[in-house]
Amino acid sequence: MRLAIVVHLTGALVRLFSVALLAPLAVALLYGERHDAWGFLLAAGVAFVAGHLMRRVAEEPHDVRRVEAMAVVAGTWLLVALAGAVPYVWAGVSLVDALFESMSGLTTTGATTFADFGALGRGIFFWRSLTQWLGGLGVIALFVAVLPRLAIGGRQLFFAEAPGPTDEKLTPQIRKTAAALWLLYTGLTATEAVSLRAVGLPWFDAVCHAFTTLAAGGFSPHPLSIMGYENQPAEWIIIVFMFLAGANFALQVRAVRGRPLTLLRDEEFRTYALITAVFAGFGALFLWREGAVLADAVRLSLFQVVSILTTTGYANADFQRWSDQAKMVLLALMFIGGCAGSAAGGPKVVRYLLIARYTLRELKRILHPRAVLPVKLGGRAVPEEVMRGVLVFFLFYLLVFAVCTTVVVSFDADIVTGITASIATLGNIGPGFNRVGPMAHYAHLHAASKVTLTAAMWIGRLEVLTVLAILRPEVWLTSRWRTGTGGPLAAG
Amino acid sequence: MRAIIIGGGDVGYALARALAPRHDVFVIDHDPAVGELFASLDVELVTGSATSASALRRAHVEDADLLVACTGLDEVNIVACSIANGLGHPETICFVSKDDFLRPSGDRDSLREHFGIDRVIWPEAQLADDIERIIAAPGAIDAEAFAGGAVRLLEYRLEAGSPLTAGRIAELGLPPGALIVAVKAGDRFTIPRGGTRLAPGDKIILMGTREAMQQVEGRMVGGAEPPARRLVTIVGGGDVGFRLAQRLDRQPGLELRVIERNPERGALIASRLSRALVLNGDGTDLELLESEQIGRSDALVSVIDNDERNLLASLIGRQLGVRTIITRVSRPANLRLFERVGIDVAISARSAAVAAVVHQVDGGTANLLAVLEEGQARILEIAVPADFAPTTLRHLQSPPQSIVGAILRGDTAHVPRGDDLIQPGDRLIVFAATASADQVRDYFAVAGR
Repeated sequence: MRLAIVVHLTGALVRLFSVALLAPLAVALLYGERHDAWGFLLAAGVAFVAGHLMRRVAEEPHDVRRVEAMAVVAGTWLLVALAGAVPYVWAGVSLVDALFESMSGLTTTGATTFADFGALGRGIFFWRSLTQWLGGLGVIALFVAVLPRLAIGGRQLFFAEAPGPTDEKLTPQIRKTAAALWLLYTGLTATEAVSLRAVGLPWFDAVCHAFTTLAAGGFSPHPLSIMGYENQPAEWIIIVFMFLAGANFALQVRAVRGRPLTLLRDEEFRTYALITAVFAGFGALFLWREGAVLADAVRLSLFQVVSILTTTGYANADFQRWSDQAKMVLLALMFIGGCAGSAAGGPKVVRYLLIARYTLRELKRILHPRAVLPVKLGGRAVPEEVMRGVLVFFLFYLLVFAVCTTVVVSFDADIVTGITASIATLGNIGPGFNRVGPMAHYAHLHAASKVTLTAAMWIGRLEVLTVLAILRPEVWLTSRWRTGTGGPLAAG
Repeated sequence: MRAIIIGGGDVGYALARALAPRHDVFVIDHDPAVGELFASLDVELVTGSATSASALRRAHVEDADLLVACTGLDEVNIVACSIANGLGHPETICFVSKDDFLRPSGDRDSLREHFGIDRVIWPEAQLADDIERIIAAPGAIDAEAFAGGAVRLLEYRLEAGSPLTAGRIAELGLPPGALIVAVKAGDRFTIPRGGTRLAPGDKIILMGTREAMQQVEGRMVGGAEPPARRLVTIVGGGDVGFRLAQRLDRQPGLELRVIERNPERGALIASRLSRALVLNGDGTDLELLESEQIGRSDALVSVIDNDERNLLASLIGRQLGVRTIITRVSRPANLRLFERVGIDVAISARSAAVAAVVHQVDGGTANLLAVLEEGQARILEIAVPADFAPTTLRHLQSPPQSIVGAILRGDTAHVPRGDDLIQPGDRLIVFAATASADQVRDYFAVAGR
């Protein structure tokens, strides 16, 4: 790994991120929150100067290797989260909580450490929602779309950020793909904001929710989340857009471009829709048995199922108070996640499809030891190395989950809180059960737990392997500032 | 006629042998060693690359009437046809073996024109089609369909106790619209009459309308309904095996297994098929065949590109109890031998293709629909000329060893009886022994004048 390249590219990306901090600055000024405005200005300044200096230490690279791309992506997400935490600290939030909140935003998790919403200004809430929106499709994807100079390495960076098992491209040029995705994403966001305004939400709330719905994020400026508005049309609108946020955006671009059946032909999308229907059905059944009116049971169950499956994490009811049966429906969904190429987190539906087929294949092999049995997706054979990647992903995912749970429970939480907090952060969902339930927050957890969960969000958003791969010692032991300088060959 | 044959392989040799007695034939091959093979034939051998203009000029392409490109390489065949078209104006026939060429998404004709190819012959596809038809008719050992499926032909081997051996043909109560056009006892063909008796071991060829043949099929499987689920095993996933597998993979009620020796080829096949089970192994591996219970198969199709291994796989299949064995034969000389040792259907891609080319050269106006029984018999389609005096079938003094199997009039097909009238404008589907095929053609041509 050539550190100069990593530092240069990371610097370029961080410097660009400073521009994003000007939006909440404007909002803060609009609402007359001068103290917060200084915080945003400070954060923008810090990001710009730090990024600029990092960029200056090395010249533009000619090529980017895979491990370098991974390091740039992981590093950028970390530094951007740090820069994003500055306004929170300025507003009086503790450093650990601020970093947690910032990472929770960028990774579209939606877990919050804000216990008292009343103490914070509009600019802060706008920034919280905006970080989710930026993180939803991927910070790097955005930069790739707007930075023509990122031609070199852009491709590697794009795939290192969203390393799903399928790498679907809309155009051969990655920049145009990224741009098309962002255009769709922006269009859907605008549509949702207008729709929510039309059913009675104030503009500020409509925009913030549109940001966090499409990002499958889940932050709400309202302390009671969606439940606080008591607005059923808004809930239905949000169900629709959450569902879209959890579906593959590339397929949606194709559908919009005149091939509307593309989505229905996609196996992952069909499975995703099926999971939604089945789980929502069971959820509604349990709620109905507990005494809810059928129409309410269906609405609450569908909303909550879509919210958890897409890893958004909104609540239109305090599901902490549901029966264990209904809660189990949601807990199972926490381990799934949306579709690959969407804004959702989690292991993703496609990986479960592949694992299921892989398992069935091994069963069939017992019957026919000599059979050639490819694992297929969409009628095409999945290469063995992709299959291996999926299996390794699951192993590491479960490992990180186990470590997180252990840490959180060891410090101060009960087991249910520990398990759900871990999966809710690793899967970028947000709320869990018990002490981290939908109407609760993460502020009361031990600082060590919060740092661990912050790391879990980071690892989960980059789909585990990107982060874990660059944490290997040999990556750093073999790293040089630049190649060719001071190496053994040059010395000899 | 001047003909140029490009490629001195099996197909080229068979073609040269058939055409040499009546035509000027040039054979182009890059390998001088084939000269020995062709020495016994009255042809001129040109050594050189088929895609070089100079070799083609040495073969007098500018005066040629026909060019047949039948090397083993599709690319060479296509380019040769294209160059020949630039140098002269021969009619070009191009042999291909791969699916990708000349038919990208239904645009077949335009691309064919682009390369100046008049006719594409694809023996492997033809073979796969033939086998598919035979599999579709349980128990049959040959099956053909003409006139868009309105007329069908089936061939069966009569087993001891078959209801058809019970009496004279006239008394068997065959469904109206079905006709036994030929009986083969041993190596001898006869056109049966109402009084003929059939014996076990005979092969019979029936022709008839779609509906009538459906009834015949029901009769031949002993009145029993065909099993709801049929198991078909294909040995060898080469061009023919893969193509056939792709066709059968989509058919409901059919369980398919493909045995392929090469692991990579097997993986490719498995990735393209949705339901079939692809087994990696040798079709002659007894242990594999037993553990996968291949003996339960209703049909085993052995289409390896090697006669010896095909024969071995087929005989093992027979031993394990497979009902119908269909085997590809590469060397035409082996055809009869294979059937004699107990293979139900021995079928050769190349001999049918060669017959098709030869017929195109010599067949005149009659249209060759099929070649049967190792080339001993043919099915011809003959358009009755406009000045033909209407004659009843009974009074038609057609050549020996031939029979009118069906009359196509307008959109309808029917199987004629003795008092049916043959009129100008009719199209006749005629079964004829190969020796009398020319006479049949001439009869209608002359009778018309």
